[in-house]
Amino acid sequence: MIRIRFFTLLQLLLNRKELELAFVPGETMRSLLERIQARIKTRFLHKLLQEQGNLKTGTIILVNGKNIHHLQKLDTPLSDGDEVALFPPGGGG
Amino acid sequence: MKLTDSMLLRVNLSTHTVSEEPIDEKLIRQYLGGRGLGSKYFADEVDPMVDPLSPENKLIFACGLMTGSSAPTAGRYMVITKSPLTGTIACSNSGGVWGAVLRKTGYSMIIVEGKSDKPIYLLVYDNNVEFKDASRVWGKKTGETTDILLDEVGEKRARVACIGPAGENLSMIGCIINDKHRAPGRSGVGAVMGSKNLKAIVVKGSNTIDFKDKSAFTGAVKEKIDKIKQHPVTGEGLPALGTKVLDNIINQGGLYPTRNFQFATFDGTEEISGEALVKKGYLKKNTACFACPIGCARDVELPNGITMEGPEYETGWAFGAHCGVNDLHAICEANFLCNELGLDTISAGVTIGTAMELYEKGYIPKEDLEDGPELKFGNSESIVYWTNKMGRNEGRLGKLMAKGSWRMSEAYGHPELSMTVKKQELPAYDPRGVQGHGLQYATSNRGGCHVRGYMISPEVLGVPEKLDPQELKGKPQWVVIFQDLTAVIDSAGLCLFTSFALGLEDYTDLINASAGFELTPEEVLRIGTRIWNLERKFNLSAGVDPSQDTLPKRMFEPLPDGPQKGAVHQLSKLLPEYYELRGWSPDGLIPEKTLQELGLT
Repeated sequence: MIRIRFFTLLQLLLNRKELELAFVPGETMRSLLERIQARIKTRFLHKLLQEQGNLKTGTIILVNGKNIHHLQKLDTPLSDGDEVALFPPGGGG
Repeated sequence: MKLTDSMLLRVNLSTHTVSEEPIDEKLIRQYLGGRGLGSKYFADEVDPMVDPLSPENKLIFACGLMTGSSAPTAGRYMVITKSPLTGTIACSNSGGVWGAVLRKTGYSMIIVEGKSDKPIYLLVYDNNVEFKDASRVWGKKTGETTDILLDEVGEKRARVACIGPAGENLSMIGCIINDKHRAPGRSGVGAVMGSKNLKAIVVKGSNTIDFKDKSAFTGAVKEKIDKIKQHPVTGEGLPALGTKVLDNIINQGGLYPTRNFQFATFDGTEEISGEALVKKGYLKKNTACFACPIGCARDVELPNGITMEGPEYETGWAFGAHCGVNDLHAICEANFLCNELGLDTISAGVTIGTAMELYEKGYIPKEDLEDGPELKFGNSESIVYWTNKMGRNEGRLGKLMAKGSWRMSEAYGHPELSMTVKKQELPAYDPRGVQGHGLQYATSNRGGCHVRGYMISPEVLGVPEKLDPQELKGKPQWVVIFQDLTAVIDSAGLCLFTSFALGLEDYTDLINASAGFELTPEEVLRIGTRIWNLERKFNLSAGVDPSQDTLPKRMFEPLPDGPQKGAVHQLSKLLPEYYELRGWSPDGLIPEKTLQELGLT
């Protein structure tokens, strides 16, 4: 099982905080995002990705608290039991 | 009137005399305005060893170069003085509308000197100034003071910057409040105003701004506004949730200081986040400061009828996770009280969280609470009650709290439990989880502060590019550039949030188009370097030696929880390179050669 948590504007857009999907062997972050979009009818991937499918500047995707920028970006492999957090670009201070 | 033609107003409160002075354009080219120009005047005129609360200290209100123009976010003004909290040069920065109206008076800077023998306020308008009796409003909160003074002045478009009871009582964490909800908040600038018996400055004006090449300026402004609106952070995230978009980002990243930095994640974050502010129905509408295309401000109404702006991320954290409190209503109330009493919200919330650890460990005896609620982490009644006592300087503990976290902790024999740098409370990012940002805390010219070089942007948010927060290589160089560029943005009179979307070349375009200069980006960044070294030079002369370029002891102990569990801050590996990049000696002093190169001798 993979637990996906939606935060900030995604949480408000989708009106949901989380989703659980069964783990599929060979899963990467890219394939997981496609599976989430297929499950959730509201279009949201454009908040995280550019048209070409790359990460937008400022998009934050964490796997167990680690930013995928410092793993293998969208090719980061996932494991059963992982927790994924999704944030569209945000800032403040 | 061109931006470079505004006059300086000098007001002596001891003698009730005023004078006008032109500002040399050469100085504007070297320091721009606001933080830079104000600090230049301050450092030239004030003995660094001055007692901050004596009449000999000066208090400068300064517009940035572009303040009052249509440049995006050009509503900022800054207050420069010597801080009673840190002993460093202070520069506190505020938005709203007050700064833009100050420019319309015909003055871009007010230097306040001396001390009035009785409470007064200043009315500044169209190259005039009046000394007015403030006995009617002395002792009153900032909201009521603002209403009374606006009524007295009889001009709805006038704007008020004032202190509350905290500044009057010389609280070292007292701030100034303008437009009821905006604050030059940090470093105790409100106490300096209180020490001068100056309750408020009311501004109104009708001067307009001209430009050497208006179409060039208008074109540059339009291009930069487009960039800001198109960037996902400034065009979408900040306008929707304001700074409180950050709560879950920072908590999930494992650097959300909890219970006085004893932990780095908070299990109550969902309840107090920006998302919760929307879902609970507190957020009524989004608003904006003067000339701001971002609009991160939020009008909030609480179920008990209180209406306010905010809370900002830092404030919500200080009274929330830092105190272990997951009650958003109480957090908003404490925020409202800070604005009304004139307290810096970061320092106030952090001081209460520190008191909670001191009390839970038995260092604050129960009798010192007098009739107050127990200072236990998670007690929402406590954050409201003790904010009130602190802001009013009441009771043994309230009086100690009003001096800030470090002095309170020292009084109870445990200054090591104060999460401060140079005696100023740290903001809402645990430096063990962000190495560059921690270096910036340690080297900030005004002590614990996140807006002197916001390294969270690259290290956590991934803007302009994503850096690994635990990587050390290259971080000192990033910190130097961020600190210098921030000094430029402040001095230009623009909001730091523009830097999510704009870069050095954009700021150079705006500076040149607004003032008719022809500076290169390198020359503009050099202005920031000059300002940074000017501040450092003042601090060294004030006795704030390089041994204070450090972090609280706790930051060198492993993080106990979260995704960055085990991390410590590695300051000793970063500081030597930082000093070297600055052109300073290995022991942190500024060589004569560096000062000469920057024109600071």
